Amino acid sequence: MELWGRMLWALLSGPGRRGSTRGWAFSSWQPQPPLAGLSSAIELVSHWTGVFEKRGIPEARESSEYIVAHVLGAKTFQSLRPALWTQPLTSQQLQCIRELSSRRLQRMPVQYILGEWDFQGLSLRMVPPVFIPRPETEELVEWVLEEVAQRSHAVGSPGSPLILEVGCGSGAISLSLLSQLPQSRVIAVDKREAAISLTHENAQRLRLQDRIWIIHLDMTSGCQLGTLGTNLQVWLIRSRGRPKVWHERSWTHLPWGPMDLIVSNPPYVFHQDMEQLAPEIRSYEDPAALDGGEEGMDIITHILALAPRLLKDSGSIFLEVDPRHPELVSSWLQSRPDLYLNLVAVRRDFCGRPRFLHIRRSGP
Amino acid sequence: MNRHLCVWLFRHPSLNGYLQCHIQLHSHQFRQIHLDTRLQVFRQNRNCILHLLSKNWSRRYCHQDTKMLWKHKALQKYMENLSKEYQTLEQCLQHIPVNEENRRSLNRRHAELAPLAAIYQEIQETEQAIEELESMCKSRQSLALWPRLECSSVIIAHFNLELLDSSNPPTSASQVAGTTGLNKQDEKQLQELALEERQTIDQKINMLYNELFQSLVPKEKYDKNDVILEVTAGRTTGGDICQQFTREIFDMYQNYSCYKHWQFELLNYTPADYGGLHHAAARISGDGVYKHLKYEGGIHRVQRIPEVGLSSRMQRIHTGTMSVIVLPQPDEVDVKLDPKDLRIDTFRAKGAGGQHVNKTDSAVRLVHIPTGLVVECQQERSQIKNKEIAFRVLRARLYQQIIEKDKRQQQSARKLQVGTRAQSERIRTYNFTQDRVSDHRIAYEVRDIKEFLCGGKGLDQLIQRLLQSADEEAIAELLDEHLKSAK
Repeated sequence: MELWGRMLWALLSGPGRRGSTRGWAFSSWQPQPPLAGLSSAIELVSHWTGVFEKRGIPEARESSEYIVAHVLGAKTFQSLRPALWTQPLTSQQLQCIRELSSRRLQRMPVQYILGEWDFQGLSLRMVPPVFIPRPETEELVEWVLEEVAQRSHAVGSPGSPLILEVGCGSGAISLSLLSQLPQSRVIAVDKREAAISLTHENAQRLRLQDRIWIIHLDMTSGCQLGTLGTNLQVWLIRSRGRPKVWHERSWTHLPWGPMDLIVSNPPYVFHQDMEQLAPEIRSYEDPAALDGGEEGMDIITHILALAPRLLKDSGSIFLEVDPRHPELVSSWLQSRPDLYLNLVAVRRDFCGRPRFLHIRRSGP
Repeated sequence: MNRHLCVWLFRHPSLNGYLQCHIQLHSHQFRQIHLDTRLQVFRQNRNCILHLLSKNWSRRYCHQDTKMLWKHKALQKYMENLSKEYQTLEQCLQHIPVNEENRRSLNRRHAELAPLAAIYQEIQETEQAIEELESMCKSRQSLALWPRLECSSVIIAHFNLELLDSSNPPTSASQVAGTTGLNKQDEKQLQELALEERQTIDQKINMLYNELFQSLVPKEKYDKNDVILEVTAGRTTGGDICQQFTREIFDMYQNYSCYKHWQFELLNYTPADYGGLHHAAARISGDGVYKHLKYEGGIHRVQRIPEVGLSSRMQRIHTGTMSVIVLPQPDEVDVKLDPKDLRIDTFRAKGAGGQHVNKTDSAVRLVHIPTGLVVECQQERSQIKNKEIAFRVLRARLYQQIIEKDKRQQQSARKLQVGTRAQSERIRTYNFTQDRVSDHRIAYEVRDIKEFLCGGKGLDQLIQRLLQSADEEAIAELLDEHLKSAK
């Protein structure tokens, strides 16, 4: 209606007014969002898909679907109550969609826009720059669950298995393991404070805070455990939400004893590949969560070096890595017989790339 | 007197079945009506049993008329044979030594037949009681001769009658009247008591017939399973009447699930423009879901003058179709899936994957290579959840194929079918201009389409009718086979 009104006005007022040609109504017409009360979910998705495509935003359709569904209270557009497909939206909803979509136009990842994402069926809060969990990592959790189920003695007794997660990020791996292994305990470690508080928030959201210890700690600073212990201030955030500063002399005197498992999705991107990552990743996610050094092995080798002193006898390490790493890790382990670690299995992800490693400690 | 009896009996619901067929109020005797119905059945088709069962009486007479079925010679003969088999088995198991394996199968058969034999016996006893009551009504002999009748003892007690010597039965009514001191008023009371007795006996026998009927119908293997219900819009030349109709039918089944207190979980929903639906799928779980929904599979046809959408421009009657597929859901053990036979396609297949990529497209496509079945799912944000759903649907489809194979081996002439033969058959027409729904398999019509599409009582009644019809066909088949093997 507005458009016709303006055309009429232009015709009545004559061409002199605007100076430009008679077709001014069309040339100065900005792509307006549809009027409130007349637009349905389907129409909005089409509209914003078009806008995203024009600006070269990848996943144009998926992005607009997730945004519209989120504003209407559903996780996916597919799962939206069919009645809501054609119902007109309120102006608040339209405004909300407009705001979220403008962030997408800035190449912000959808997960940060919505402020949440799903992992293994759990709904987790997402806050930049904390690393967004990838779908492959869901398979890592599946593998760990399978292995734990096979070792029946580990399951069932309280506090077991005791799992260490290195680089917990949003807490995805820790919390999905906790929720599916009701007797387990997890120690989650990350060097970024933002990750620590996000993991804490997600643990509380899922009411798993009683079985997780979240520690702000940089595993890579100082390889010797001795230095690590005495020079470190360890923030221990326990259940009940009261942060406690906790100093500890050394790792070996931790109250919780050696671990059954170490799980990690460490930064494994080769440094030279960092600049080829999509703008969504480069501009919004913490590079420290991605950059693994020259061969992407830096943090991996740190974890493997520390593992023997943290693990029980025949304890396991499960890692997600780059498809080029299985060989590199294998040869690295052979060069370090003092660690008594063996690469036991390599598992492929659902795209057929070797993605996951199972390393076992054997020996003194 | 008898006329009142007729009217009274007509009003009585348990007897509604066979009386409704033809009330001949001019007949004098109660017994006469009873006899006439029997003769009617036999007169029509004495030679061809199946012809009788499938054509004439299943349409003409009320479906609750299990008594009709009972009166049929074939069923009686079948029951007699079963009873004999049961007795021989009992003898066999008690007296003749058999080896372990045979014993187990004989025991199983014995257990199968036990309830049937018991019901058969009860029916025979009750029928005898009826006959006694009838003869008592007709000729008033000594009450002592009818020990089965409750009313005998009541009457005796009430009137403080002395029991006559059964070895010396009286020969005339007056003799009885004289001996027992019955007057006109007492006679009337006697009649009333006899009526009451008749009422209870008839109720009992109807119940027994129903029990027998239920026991005879072969149990479907998958009846208790949950289902995956899929709807797909058909094609018409222009217009979107099919898509609109598909949405209405899907809503109907959703409401029906609610009505039956089942759980309805949406698996897939692909809408069309203007509020229609291309195809959708849902998982329905609860008690006996497959049993109720199995006959909903097939082509549903619609005839209407569309109110909304592209077709509404010209006010003409349009015809459209949509198809419903009902798949029973297997347990994990029923369908073995070898990972080698599967190919999983995801968006992340291209490129480096892992930390290098952040994409939100979590759609999963499963391809089962040996059969070529493809299942897609993008219902969830979590890719692994989409994979789980896709696996579930794939299992259900494979299960369906297994069932198909089973059924194909049974050459069935039934009207009510499940499986791929049924999928392409037009089973029901929804005519909006005439405001009726007709199911073509049992020639059943319902008025008030709007109420029917609400998925409540209307649909439930139709489904109950379908189930009854299917049961009857199953028994007819059973008897037919029995006859064939007897020859």
